[in-house]
Amino acid sequence: MKQNEACDILIIGAGATGSLAATVLAKAGLDVVCLEQGGWVEREDHPHYSNDWTWQRRTNWNADINKRHHPDDYKVVSDSSQVLMWNGVGGSTNVYGAIWPRYRPSDFRKGDEHGLQPNWPISYEELAPFYEAADRLVGVSGLEGDPAMPPREPCPTGPLPFTKAAATLAGAFDKLGWHWWPAEAGTISEDYDGRPACNGCGICNGCPRGSMSKYSLSVWPKALSAGTKLRTHARVLKIEKGRDGRATGALYQDRNTGIVEFQPATIVIVAANGVGTPRLLLASDNLANQSDQVGRNLLHHTLVSSEMWVDEQIDGHMGYVASLISREFAETDISRGFVNGFNFNCLTSTSSAGEVAAGWISDRRAPWGEGHHRWFERHFGHGIGIHAIGDDLPNPNNRVFLDPVVTDTNGMPVARMHYEPGENDRRMMNYMLDRLEDIAKAAGAFDYRLQDYKDENGVYRTPAWHMIGTCRMGDDPETSVVNKWQQSWDVPNLFIVDGSVLATGGVVNPTPTISALALRAAAYIRDHFQELKGSTKSVAA
Amino acid sequence: MQQVDAASDAVMLADLVDVLIPSGDGWPSAAIVGVQGQLATRLIAEQGEAALPGLLKALRAAGAPFAGQADKQRDAIVSALERSEPELFAWVRDAVFIAYYESPFVAAAINAKGHPYKLRPHLTGYAVPRFDRTKDVPAQKRGHYVPTDQVRHVDISSLELESRVTTTWGRQR
Repeated sequence: MKQNEACDILIIGAGATGSLAATVLAKAGLDVVCLEQGGWVEREDHPHYSNDWTWQRRTNWNADINKRHHPDDYKVVSDSSQVLMWNGVGGSTNVYGAIWPRYRPSDFRKGDEHGLQPNWPISYEELAPFYEAADRLVGVSGLEGDPAMPPREPCPTGPLPFTKAAATLAGAFDKLGWHWWPAEAGTISEDYDGRPACNGCGICNGCPRGSMSKYSLSVWPKALSAGTKLRTHARVLKIEKGRDGRATGALYQDRNTGIVEFQPATIVIVAANGVGTPRLLLASDNLANQSDQVGRNLLHHTLVSSEMWVDEQIDGHMGYVASLISREFAETDISRGFVNGFNFNCLTSTSSAGEVAAGWISDRRAPWGEGHHRWFERHFGHGIGIHAIGDDLPNPNNRVFLDPVVTDTNGMPVARMHYEPGENDRRMMNYMLDRLEDIAKAAGAFDYRLQDYKDENGVYRTPAWHMIGTCRMGDDPETSVVNKWQQSWDVPNLFIVDGSVLATGGVVNPTPTISALALRAAAYIRDHFQELKGSTKSVAA
Repeated sequence: MQQVDAASDAVMLADLVDVLIPSGDGWPSAAIVGVQGQLATRLIAEQGEAALPGLLKALRAAGAPFAGQADKQRDAIVSALERSEPELFAWVRDAVFIAYYESPFVAAAINAKGHPYKLRPHLTGYAVPRFDRTKDVPAQKRGHYVPTDQVRHVDISSLELESRVTTTWGRQR
């Protein structure tokens, strides 16, 4: 084993949150090392430049690690969820869609509201300045003034084009009397920070131009220029702990040489996502898990979807993938028969003619044979997709855990996942499906199809972009893994900055919130580094 | 002898993709744009060396070859494959559809139908009008949120979440 020179800060994972933490801490003059099991994803690596990009995103560029064969990945066995992530510099921002809504104030107070979820140890107001900072750093577009959200600063760039799909949906929501607002996006509508404005290509499955914030293009250059030492192809095997209860550093394998190295550090930050982080902690002799909460309370959001087709030619294959957001049902109203709420993430359409024919987010597809072209001509350029995304309740049995027997090629136990929607979630998804039907009818759709993501055996196989909650933050060491500064209750120099710390899922895509939280935690570490250097006890709530 | 078989197999695959996507009204057929080659390559890449012989065997069991058969009978062969090998057929159908629309000749046909469609839109993008604050800002002012200090406890006892179980949920209810 090779022993490396000690650093101030060791960050495990070079995805969105690892890059943000590295930027903040390296800019403060701290010696930052970041270990990433994958490599860089160069512009030309992306499938966007080939005719066959549709096929590639179903195969070797599939966001589901179990549907592609990539050496940077590690094995995750799920009995339900599709496991959507990317391992490499920039993490899943290499393949995401960058819809950019924020949590709402009540999301942080579900304990007060109904008690089926915990309160967060922080409020919306405490996080708000970091939302703004993240938006500036990442590059965001949107329209200020949404009455369904607290006031905010104008986005760094204005709203993306208001497409014909958006106009069609806005008409439907107006007919229903429901809220709608132009979607906020982690995609820039004007040139910003050295990156070009969105060109409306519509692929929006990662963006090698960098118009959509791919963190390897938007944030990592800042972290590197500030002095961060990024080591790619460095797969962390274990976080070590000393007799004083502090983390001492991490063992990792250099995947190029096969050599196992030890990286000592004063502070260890884990930024390996809602699956990778609990996997690593559990594999590190059950580190930071006196609460037995590591890996538990896996949240994916309730998610159901629809596709509809309207008479007007709207050519939804052009333009950014999201069109509108409707927050009409975002707050709890128990007259609906469940707690919590949901949003409609309204899309445009797929930018792939092949996906229109072969099926996009529903199982509606063109027939084969004589009627194929007639169906295609009727549907192509007329389709709109909608996701309904809601706040699922935590269940300790929905979790990430280690296989007791099977190990991967590095000798680490294979991660396993189990997720099943609960009673409240099922009721919510029924309600969401009914409302999706309302929208299709209000839009005058000549055809529509709902998607509940249940397989032929009734198993809910959500495309789980959002793998959160598995090391949740809280104000009680008995029921949470980290405190309000994302510091482990058990290991005072161990911080977790990825989405696993989210105490609730909210009704939105979580990357803006995860990014804001990472900036906040990194600022805390920066400002308290001297105290943290020797502390053997985490701060109380 | 092997060459003769290979040629027959290639023709059989070409006939299959042409039944799935025939020509008509300005649209080339799938075989004309070479979909059968992509299908064979991708089938092997994704499902292994045995997958292509497996498909050909299943086709023969369904009544292929297609040569000399009337349109109705050609359709019947594919329908029989769909019934006998539903999983394999679904994979083949989707792969054929996707390969077909990757063809520049098919993209040209889409353009001819009045849609600005590009096979590699990322290179130059699409011309989409910019957001116009004089007409695109929502006129409606619907929507609300609950501020932090106004979050109130709600009585959820009427929901009976512990005792009432939703056994049927989803599209089929």
